[in-house]
Amino acid sequence: MASLREIPTEADFASTITSLPPATVAVIYFHAPWAAPCKQMSTVLSTLASTYPSSAPLAFLSLNAEELPEISEQYDVTAVPYIVLQKDGSVLETVSGSDAAKVRAAVEKYAGAGSAGEASNLGLPPAQSVTKPAAPTTHLETGATNGTNGTKNLASYAPSNNDPKTAPEYSSGAKETKEELFARLAELVKAAPVMLFMKGTPSAPQCGFSRQTSSLLREKGVRYGFFNILADDDVRQGLKEYADWPTFPQLWVGGELVGGLDIVKEEFENDPDFLAEYTVSKQRNTGGPAAPQAQAQTA
Amino acid sequence: MAQSMTPVEDAMRVKLSEAFNPSTLEVYNDSHKHAHHKAMQGSTSRETHFRVVITSEAFKSKMQPARHRMVYALLKDEMAREGGIHALQLKTRTPEEEERQKQREEAESVNA
Repeated sequence: MASLREIPTEADFASTITSLPPATVAVIYFHAPWAAPCKQMSTVLSTLASTYPSSAPLAFLSLNAEELPEISEQYDVTAVPYIVLQKDGSVLETVSGSDAAKVRAAVEKYAGAGSAGEASNLGLPPAQSVTKPAAPTTHLETGATNGTNGTKNLASYAPSNNDPKTAPEYSSGAKETKEELFARLAELVKAAPVMLFMKGTPSAPQCGFSRQTSSLLREKGVRYGFFNILADDDVRQGLKEYADWPTFPQLWVGGELVGGLDIVKEEFENDPDFLAEYTVSKQRNTGGPAAPQAQAQTA
Repeated sequence: MAQSMTPVEDAMRVKLSEAFNPSTLEVYNDSHKHAHHKAMQGSTSRETHFRVVITSEAFKSKMQPARHRMVYALLKDEMAREGGIHALQLKTRTPEEEERQKQREEAESVNA
């Protein structure tokens, strides 16, 4: 069965992509080891991969976004987890955030039912594109089932509203003490140079203020990590006390609280260089494929 | 004697005035803009979302997070209470900052 492969270097990525058989859908998953939602997504993706036979025209590739900054920039990755579906060098779709159902739907769109569609588009049977003979019936059984059937297999891996913790390793069984929670929070706020604690995710914000903050950061091309406080009530309540700040979203920079939407907006207005050192364009010395606004700056 | 229709807002004004002796204090009730949001389902309060603009010397030489914390501390009970203040937008300035901003805005409108 197919599996999620970790790609350690940029050279590996390049050679892997070029060696993929044509018409293979590459599911490129950008992650950062410190980001709790990424651990969940890794599980979701390797499980999803395992439901496809190895002969499927699918490749699940896992990339550490911070260790492969050139590739992250090439794909305009500003927040993790981030999944890019690509075929024959062109991007089919991207999924930002940790919505497992969305990722599965995207993969099934191009690789599940897609295999039958490819055959009719190209006039070629799937078997031609891979070294081992493809098994269309297997695709239909596992990958291409309609949403309702497919959901049964994988929805259990997506965090439900009742799950207490987002990251499996933290659920030690016993209730966390306050010290442990504060220790965890101390690490969490430093998890990325710029951390946004928000309601929902950048791709699916659950609150207008969180939505505005994440889209403001995106607009400015800032690289940031995010944490969905609706998925973890311990963090939601604990962080209010830890930060001595009663509301969300909260933006932390370098382990220090900057503030909420009001303050972030004002900082951008008053200081043109606010968070400039964390933007996508500043991470590279040479120019390159970058967000449009960054290109305008370097042009 | 008629009861106030806006007890939360009243309490806010009193507390903020007493604590900060502000030269400018504007309190806007934006609750109606959020009343249909999922988080507000089941809420009967009409005083859940507020926007406050406040100018006071008390904010001098304090960074924004510190200023906001001063206001939060004052309104701690109202914010912690069930059905109390759910969201609070703040614009905290010193008199000098307010003046500077006014001048900037005037300059911009002249140039436009």
